Amino acid sequence: MSSLKKSTTIETVIAIVDDLTQDWGLDLSAPVSECTQLAADLQFASVDIIQLCVALEQCYGRRFGFQDLLMKDGSYVGDLALSQFAAFVDSKLKLESITP
Amino acid sequence: MTVRTLFIGLDGATFTVLNDLIKGKDGEPPVMPFMAKVFAEGVRSKLRSTPNPLTPPAWVSLMTGRGPGHHGVFDFIRAEERGDDVFFTLYDSRDCRVETIWSIASRQGKRVAALNFPFTAPPPDDLNGFVVPGFVPWRHLRRNTYPQDLYDRLKQIPDFNAQELAWDFEQEKQSGDQLSDHDREQWVSYHLPREKQWFKVAEHLMDAEAPDLMAVLFDGVDKLQHQAWPYVDPALQTGELSGFHLRMRELSLGYFRQLDGFIEKLVTAAGPDVNVFFASDHGFCASTEIVRINAYLAEKGYVHFRELPPGDAGMRRDNSYFAFLDWHKTVAYCRTPSCNGITIRVARNPGETGIEPSEYEAVRNRLIRDLEDLKDPETGERIIAEIHKREDVFPGAAMTNAPDLQLVLRDFGFVSVRNVLPVVEKRAYPIGTHHPDGVFLAYGPGVEKGKLLGRRHITDVAATLLYSLGLDVPSDFEGKVAEAMFTREHLDKQPVVLGAATLSDRAIGATETMAEDEKEQILAQLQMLGYME
Repeated sequence: MSSLKKSTTIETVIAIVDDLTQDWGLDLSAPVSECTQLAADLQFASVDIIQLCVALEQCYGRRFGFQDLLMKDGSYVGDLALSQFAAFVDSKLKLESITP
Repeated sequence: MTVRTLFIGLDGATFTVLNDLIKGKDGEPPVMPFMAKVFAEGVRSKLRSTPNPLTPPAWVSLMTGRGPGHHGVFDFIRAEERGDDVFFTLYDSRDCRVETIWSIASRQGKRVAALNFPFTAPPPDDLNGFVVPGFVPWRHLRRNTYPQDLYDRLKQIPDFNAQELAWDFEQEKQSGDQLSDHDREQWVSYHLPREKQWFKVAEHLMDAEAPDLMAVLFDGVDKLQHQAWPYVDPALQTGELSGFHLRMRELSLGYFRQLDGFIEKLVTAAGPDVNVFFASDHGFCASTEIVRINAYLAEKGYVHFRELPPGDAGMRRDNSYFAFLDWHKTVAYCRTPSCNGITIRVARNPGETGIEPSEYEAVRNRLIRDLEDLKDPETGERIIAEIHKREDVFPGAAMTNAPDLQLVLRDFGFVSVRNVLPVVEKRAYPIGTHHPDGVFLAYGPGVEKGKLLGRRHITDVAATLLYSLGLDVPSDFEGKVAEAMFTREHLDKQPVVLGAATLSDRAIGATETMAEDEKEQILAQLQMLGYME
């Protein structure tokens, strides 16, 4: 999974999503991009989101605590764009880099 | 290269059923003729499961030679209390704190193949061998299959179908919605092609790769018995049986007949020099009553249910399998039906709700007395037959993740967490539930013949498999080699040797959450499996 790690986080997220969905038989109108919505565009169910979280954590070799992204004000969010995943991972990596 | 050890997991297999299926009746041959041969020419013993005889802790104990207090996997779902809410997460292989036999054998140069075992996903990236994990939806099999090119290789197997092979949450959710006769038939039928897919993968890997340790788990035994127990339990085949009953029995026996054929082919393909072992993670028996444990704890003042919100949200909550609790007032509760345990809420940090740490022992002792008081009004018999403190049954570094009290119901059933009365209610018909005694069998060269041995513990399987591979048994294993399964001559030639300890703690800390509909999906599945009323 670490072989999918790219030079930027969003590229990594896109590569992982491409890898994850390669057998799903999706008929996409456009390539997966930072604007792609997981549920609306890729038909992600909750179990798929969990698998994406695991894949990202494996890729970076750490856990990110995705509950902070998946829950807002006590409720689970409806859908997420890949850019939101990338931004969340970036924020966690940044936080880690400045924490002594 | 040749296979040295073949391990066939039979999830939920019990001698209650197997003893019946190996016997011919009324001039008819046995349903499982090959298993009859294994009984006659090999050895067998009951296998005591983990304190909560449940797939996650039990299979992980079988794969690690350690109890849940060490490996840290207690349930399908892990709960984390955070402020005023509880986040539910799924356990995965990263939560296992101790080394598995796949890893132990790998790093000593043995090639392994582990097919359909739960909590092998995500697979480790340094295995000497092959993993196709169980309990993973087909859309994620590729990513969780090891090595990376294996999935494409499997697709070349004639008639390979990942959707048939993998755990289909959606189908099981649909099946769980209605337990009509038709759905029950579908449920049994669904597992016939699944097992065939796993058999074909095992057959392919054994032929193409011949790993030293070839291991495959057939989990249809458990799934079938949950819904079809009345049709397979020999004790329930008396009196006038309906046409549906007879049809379901024949369908169920057809499953076992097919399974026996797969086993025979695998053992035959492995060759005469291979040690073959069979084990189940737990046994099976009938559950005849529903025990609504949180409703009982509410009567005793430990649980406080929250008022349901109005409208659709309230209806959804009311239909939810998770208890909707007031976390400011709830002191002790049962998190999931499958855990069969009680968690005491202790306020360990400022701002947290729950009892003071100093009150813990007093509250727990009072709770035990209250649980002991739950009795059958007609017979006076305790509904909760056993109540264990966690330090007594889950010693180890992971004990703090265990329920504070582990319960064993008198019929070995799983509790309900719903806010429904009465607390105890007779089921409309018996369903299959997990009995603590599973099966352990050995067959092949160096193995005793035709003997029924004393009961072993589930952690002994890992030690025995490593011994069979010619490896030392790690000194920190709880499990012991089942030496009585082997002939004296064999033991003299290959003595049991205790070796270096396993590699230490590998689990990593935080967790990811599970979205609401995923929780529902998993729980619907668990309901279908009989973990819920």
